[in-house]
Amino acid sequence: MKFILRTFVIILPIALISFFYLYINDNDYYPGADYRNYDLPQFELTELYSNADISNEDLEGTYLINVWASWCITCRVEHGFLAKLSNQNIPITGINYKDEREDAIKWINKFGDPYKLIIHDYKGSLALDMGVTGAPETFLISNGEVLVHYRGEVNNMIWQDVFIPVITKYELFK
Amino acid sequence: MLIEIAQFLTILSTGLFFLNFLFAFFFDSSDRHMASLVSKVYTHSSLLLATSFFIYVWLAVSDNFSVLYIAQHSNSNLPTFYKITSIWSAHEGSMFLWILFLVLWGALFNFVTQNSQDLKIKSMGVISIIIVGFLLFLLLTSNPFETILPIAPANGADINPVLQDPALAIHPPFLYMGYIGFVIAFAHAIAFMVEGNPSIKWESLVRTWSIAAWVFLTIGITLGSWWAYYELGWGGYWFWDPVENVALMPWLAATAFIHSLSVSSKSSSLRIWTILLSIIVFSLSLFGAFIVRSGIIDSVHSFANDPERGLYLLTFIGILIIGSMTLFSSRLSMLSSGSVIKTFSKESFISINNIFFGVLVFSTMLGILYPLIYESIYEQKISVGAPFYNAIFVPMAVLACIFLFFSIGAKWQRKLVISSFVNSISLSVFISGFLVLLAYKLLSIHGIWELISIFAGSIIIVRYLFVIWDYLSKKKYSNPFSVIAHIGLGILMISISLNNELSSERALNIKINQSDTYQGYQIKLTDLKLVNQPNHDSIQAIFLVTDPIGNNFYLKPEKRKYFARGQITTETDIHVTLLKDIYITIGDQLKDGSWIVNIQFNYFIRWIWFSAIMMGFAGVMLIVSLNRTR
Amino acid sequence: MKAIRQKRLITVFVILIFSGLGSFLIFKALDSNLDFFFTPSELIERTIPDNKRIKIGGMVLEGSVIRDKTNITFQITDYKHSIAVNFDGVVPDLFKEGSGVVALGYLDNGIVYAEQILAKHDENYMPPGMDIEK
Repeated sequence: MKFILRTFVIILPIALISFFYLYINDNDYYPGADYRNYDLPQFELTELYSNADISNEDLEGTYLINVWASWCITCRVEHGFLAKLSNQNIPITGINYKDEREDAIKWINKFGDPYKLIIHDYKGSLALDMGVTGAPETFLISNGEVLVHYRGEVNNMIWQDVFIPVITKYELFK
Repeated sequence: MLIEIAQFLTILSTGLFFLNFLFAFFFDSSDRHMASLVSKVYTHSSLLLATSFFIYVWLAVSDNFSVLYIAQHSNSNLPTFYKITSIWSAHEGSMFLWILFLVLWGALFNFVTQNSQDLKIKSMGVISIIIVGFLLFLLLTSNPFETILPIAPANGADINPVLQDPALAIHPPFLYMGYIGFVIAFAHAIAFMVEGNPSIKWESLVRTWSIAAWVFLTIGITLGSWWAYYELGWGGYWFWDPVENVALMPWLAATAFIHSLSVSSKSSSLRIWTILLSIIVFSLSLFGAFIVRSGIIDSVHSFANDPERGLYLLTFIGILIIGSMTLFSSRLSMLSSGSVIKTFSKESFISINNIFFGVLVFSTMLGILYPLIYESIYEQKISVGAPFYNAIFVPMAVLACIFLFFSIGAKWQRKLVISSFVNSISLSVFISGFLVLLAYKLLSIHGIWELISIFAGSIIIVRYLFVIWDYLSKKKYSNPFSVIAHIGLGILMISISLNNELSSERALNIKINQSDTYQGYQIKLTDLKLVNQPNHDSIQAIFLVTDPIGNNFYLKPEKRKYFARGQITTETDIHVTLLKDIYITIGDQLKDGSWIVNIQFNYFIRWIWFSAIMMGFAGVMLIVSLNRTR
Repeated sequence: MKAIRQKRLITVFVILIFSGLGSFLIFKALDSNLDFFFTPSELIERTIPDNKRIKIGGMVLEGSVIRDKTNITFQITDYKHSIAVNFDGVVPDLFKEGSGVVALGYLDNGIVYAEQILAKHDENYMPPGMDIEK
């Protein structure tokens, strides 16, 4: 009797905790990260500053897409790291998400512009097609294919853990 | 400056709590001076932490947006109430509140007990080390004091309007108070096993505290259910969402625990159970914190995006659980009482009761884990919905009710003599059978499990009414708390069944000034109003509802569009009557100008919450009486 | 002594039988009540019995929404394949053409008869449980 109880109360928690431990350390699992590959959805929107039309043809090669908004506080925190990436010659396309044009331009003037290009997605339609749930979110795209989708603030740790492995695997930004 | 002070106070208190743990465990705790030192250090460090929290509240109220967390989750346009509640609207702040409550439970315990009370100092030590674990988690992985420098934003983020709701704002504190309140019992269980003196009655030392925590948990779950009912526009009161299940598991285990405690505080015969359950209850509370905060389960992914948090919590919780279980299994022989439980005694019924609760906890846990396991093996996403839980909970609850029914009148350490209750038992069965027949004929309830549940609920209620009658007429003693709580259980069984069977809904298609009928109720859309509010526009549909008897009332559901991010929300309107709620939501407008309107009749929904409140009330009364007799 | 041992053996045996039977019943209940989640493309590859409740997730295909009084028909698509969904009632506020959606219901003759429509929330910083609007 005691033997059964004794093993039971120790084995069960150990099994549970090791399961979760393995689950957390599984490569496929990273909270907020999504590694499914799919084509970048078709869109026709305008550029933030010039109001010129933009569609898929204007985006080529390997680049990041960063979804941001002036109302988003976390985007401000993330901004510094994006500037660093931009200085390392990593092209970033911004999607300005559900934001007024003037507010967005004011924000960029205040905090700097790490983006090659900013798409003004006032209604959030492109963002919705890309499965965006809020701001900030960041995508890694190569030749029209989404390789990584990360929900939340990108900082050095996330960059190293989530993006670098994929970049190394496909030998991108070479 | 204030931010740095608050952070410094938190760090300082972390150090002091650790010191306190060392004092309590590695010095002679029977020394009177040492004991008073531990008690004093605890008081001071909890004052430091409380001060830090109050500074934080002040920072939120005074719109200090240089604090990142406050900038992210508050806004200067919010009323002060929601500025305060925004503190626990996301991960960092709610963790801070969780720790504050943990510290406060300990401080309250420290304050009302004598330093010489058995196990006190060691328990304070256990509580202190748990506090240190959580404080390190807070400071290292989820620092609420992080600032945005050099320039603070002029205003905070736009707040999700769904969050601005009183029931949503106040139910997390109740839940946290409940979850973490079981730390007193857990700490005593550990202290008891470390001390190794079986003559100490640890059960009676923690009974009040555990019931208090259970009452908080009960109220918190009820408030959450009520909020989901009116806010989500779905008309349901329980969704078997992983987050709800995570609250339900500790509640089930805690209910088993406080039942076992009532035995053990009379005799020590269920000591293995009580110790084990106290560990399980606290572990389940911590497990809930891990599930919600690690981002493992889909529905909570946005709570935390940092994998370190999950890893830290898992390690910390793992050490606590495996450590205490190892201690438990090494002290088994000290815990076993040697006394044999008599069959058909009150103790024997409560042991069986524990098995029922065990099955329910196990099944709920399985419902949470199985999708994760399945997905990692078969790479196929699945979810476990209400049908599974119903298939387990309904038969289990019925069985438990039947056992309870036969155990009423059982005595401590004595065999229950069923024959002395034969009259009231057979009368209860007879009356309940009649009620089921009425339900079948008059309310046309045909679901077999609903009928069985109504029977199970009503035998309990009727049987307890006999107990009350016996008390009033013959002054035969009965335990009033048990009577109230269990009548609550009976009402819960019946109202859930009736709700399930009688409730109905229908989508209607109505143009303005037109009407439609549903179940004898005439519903007329009389007006549509555009209401302009400071932060949103709303379309209010005004329905004139005429019930079958000819009484009129208005229902005014809304559709709101918030300016901030163009978010659209639906506000239900509910007409509450004794037996049912008439619950209306509006959907989209079609091209021909007509509206889709959803009308629901939710029967006995208030009774479900009422029964939960009855149980909570019984708990409060029991606490009062326990402390009066002491 | 022998009698005690025998009694103990019986207790262990009874516990094992009961817990085995209990676990069997629980797992059986679990197995028959799982809701499988598919994308339209995955659905094409499989045959699903029409009494099995499933979840279909994807986007609402643009231009596919047809309303008739309280009834609504639309296509869920993953931009490779699509599947028709029929539902009676009020759809969530966030239900829109081109937005994310999950339908819970039964498949019959290539049409999903939904009991529930869940729209994906396009908001960040939701509290737990609010990620998908019910």
